[in-house]
Amino acid sequence: MNHIFSQFQQAARLLGVRWWTAVLVLALACLLVKARAADDASFTRGVESARAGQLSEAGHVFEKSVQARPSAGGFVNLGITEWQRGHAGAAILAWERATWLDPHDARAVQNLKFARAAVQVDEPELRWFETASTWLPANLWLWLAGMSLWLALGALVLPSVFRRRKSGWQQSLAALGLCAFIFSVTANVGVVSRTDIGFVLKKNVPLRLTPTSGSEVTSILSAGEPVRRLKTRGNYFFIRTSVAAGWIEQGQIGLINE
Amino acid sequence: MLALLTPLLATGQPAPQLPPGGAAQLMVPQSVVDRTPLENISATAMFDPPVVPAGGKTFYRVTVDATQNSVDWPDAISAPSELKLGAALSGQISRVEGNRFLPLTSYVYEVKPSAAGHFAISSFVIQANGHAVTVPAAELHVLESNSAPALPARQVLLDVSATNLFVGQPFRVRVLLPAGAGNQIEALREIQFNGSGFMTDKIATRQSVEMVKYEGQQKPAYIFETAATPLAAGSVAISAQGFASGRDFGGPITISGQGQVVISGGAPQYVLLVSDETRLNVRPLPPEGELPGFTGAIGMFHATGPQLSTDHVHVGEPIYLKYNFPSTNLSRFVPPAAPRSREWQIIADPAPGNGFTLIPLTDEVTQTPEIPFSAFDPTTGKYYDLTIFPLPVTVTGDGLPVQLPVWSSTETNAAPLKLSGFATVPGKAVASLKPLQLQGGFVCLQILPVLAFIALWRWDERRRFLEAHPDLVRRRKAKRDLRREKIKMQRAIVAVDEDAFAKHAAMALRIAVAPHLQAEAQALVGADVLAQLDDAGRSGPAGETVRKIFAAADVQFAAIKPSRENLLELQNNLDVVLNGLEEKL
Repeated sequence: MNHIFSQFQQAARLLGVRWWTAVLVLALACLLVKARAADDASFTRGVESARAGQLSEAGHVFEKSVQARPSAGGFVNLGITEWQRGHAGAAILAWERATWLDPHDARAVQNLKFARAAVQVDEPELRWFETASTWLPANLWLWLAGMSLWLALGALVLPSVFRRRKSGWQQSLAALGLCAFIFSVTANVGVVSRTDIGFVLKKNVPLRLTPTSGSEVTSILSAGEPVRRLKTRGNYFFIRTSVAAGWIEQGQIGLINE
Repeated sequence: MLALLTPLLATGQPAPQLPPGGAAQLMVPQSVVDRTPLENISATAMFDPPVVPAGGKTFYRVTVDATQNSVDWPDAISAPSELKLGAALSGQISRVEGNRFLPLTSYVYEVKPSAAGHFAISSFVIQANGHAVTVPAAELHVLESNSAPALPARQVLLDVSATNLFVGQPFRVRVLLPAGAGNQIEALREIQFNGSGFMTDKIATRQSVEMVKYEGQQKPAYIFETAATPLAAGSVAISAQGFASGRDFGGPITISGQGQVVISGGAPQYVLLVSDETRLNVRPLPPEGELPGFTGAIGMFHATGPQLSTDHVHVGEPIYLKYNFPSTNLSRFVPPAAPRSREWQIIADPAPGNGFTLIPLTDEVTQTPEIPFSAFDPTTGKYYDLTIFPLPVTVTGDGLPVQLPVWSSTETNAAPLKLSGFATVPGKAVASLKPLQLQGGFVCLQILPVLAFIALWRWDERRRFLEAHPDLVRRRKAKRDLRREKIKMQRAIVAVDEDAFAKHAAMALRIAVAPHLQAEAQALVGADVLAQLDDAGRSGPAGETVRKIFAAADVQFAAIKPSRENLLELQNNLDVVLNGLEEKL
């Protein structure tokens, strides 16, 4: 035991770190690997249940999986099971969340087009900066903004700090970083703006004139119909669709990032 | 021309509209309604029995050959003060005479004479169908109170199953007409119960002839039985009346028990008989302890377990939940009400139902809804639970299409024709769907590059300052080097190495004075060090120590090494010199 410990200490010394630092890093790595393995096992169990026709159980497994760790594949599979169980609204919401994580997920994109053609609902109407924000995963835009800003500042400031002559490529890099930063800021605004987009979960959901249960119904919404949240009061959202605006119970729509 | 078109223009005469069964009614021979002249209405009056002892009971009965509505009966009739008349009771019956229906209305007063004697209620005139009809006088002979009556007053008996009741608690009520002389049985018709605060069942009735105990002996009696329910709390009076109608039973009758029964023939003589009044004590249902789902069911019921028509159903398809709560005694069953549920549409059977139609609205449900139900047990005076517990059920959702028809693809911008397969790997994953843009952590992370830039700026500023003040750099360097040499000196002392001590001591002295001379420490000699001491120091022990140290350090260059005194003893003086020089740095 002592021999193993001394060898471990030696290895840590070779890496240039203290032995207890190495132990901490190893423990963290083990925990991460274990959590990841559990996620993967749950995901595989869901796929097997779905293929065996046990859609309800598969749906629950995928739901738990994405609650524990949201993943594009998990949302794609959750959407498929919801669709097969007849929940068009929940399926469309799940696929939208998959594209929120990975805009280029081919399965999610295909299923969204298919579902909207099947149940005859529109895509959400996006503004130009919201459309731009769909080109990359939501979080990536923020990293891009941060890195491009510091890259531009670094390219401008660091040569003078280190008493180097500013070269052409450094100035080009600064200009490029600044452009990327400005563009990514608009995309980030689009990402934040898209968090107010939601989808109707059930069929024939009433859109009301006031935020009360006994209020007059002004319109009936279909499952999967996109809505935009404008304000909240109590248990109700004031939303706008492509054709109408009104109040809707919070539980009857699913927001893309919740 | 017009004559030719007439058949086309003429509309057909509509067929006569008959009520359901109307045709059959027309074909069955009906009795003729009496259409004798209205002025021929007659009335009779009599005491029954005509002879009673004082304090006994008799009935003053008036019978009119007219409908009850047509008779204008006076509110009070004149009678001797010795005859105490009770409230008037009345009834109407239709009798058949030959092939004619004749109305008959009777008015009955209970009379209790208070003194012996011969009394009469004189004749009086009433209005019937707008005509004056004379009611003849009736005579009553009242005997002394201790004499036995020749005939007892004829009346019906009222028997109730319970007199202490709760509101809504059903009870059995029987009207008995004991057999007369020679066990002769007579039927009762047009039976009605007088009083308020209760309701009788008009449908579930039964008539029979049974042996009953009457006046201390078993006698056959005609029995009419039904159920009644008190509607209001308090003291409720109930009495019965009916027409004795001979053998006119008017429906099926059960005759049971031992003994001989005589049913006389001939045309019935309709006589209105009344019963004594019975008092019921009705209590309200206790508000405390009422359980959820109480609909008003009172009695002792047993839950036999609900039954489901099927345990596999699609969303939107109805299933039937049947329940059964049998009761061992007379009880009032009010079916459970349908509860509200977001997941089920629940439709109760119309009364008297024994089930619910359940329609699942979602496939999330795995069991039928719980239907709260409870009843009140009048025996214990407490409520008890009869909740219909959930049953497991599998609900399958409506399948949406997994493939679109080919023609659809041309109309929907070439949308894919089918759903994709399942993803086999989780793919891109994040810790939360909430974007980093809305989390504070990322903003905090941006502090790191800001700090890095601040550090760089500070470093550059300091660098510029030191460049402007090179002596500062030298002094600091000298201090660092001096500290290092002092450590080496300490090591030499510990090792009792005089050569090393002399070497590092000389080096320390050079380092301590080098910044003042703006020279490299290696290039300095003892005279340079002495020049930095004041006059007193130079000629004193400090100067002496410096000279000895440098002399010892220079021995390495000598061909013959002279003997020397113990250098380590100079340590204290050397520390004083070095501290003095270090203070000038």
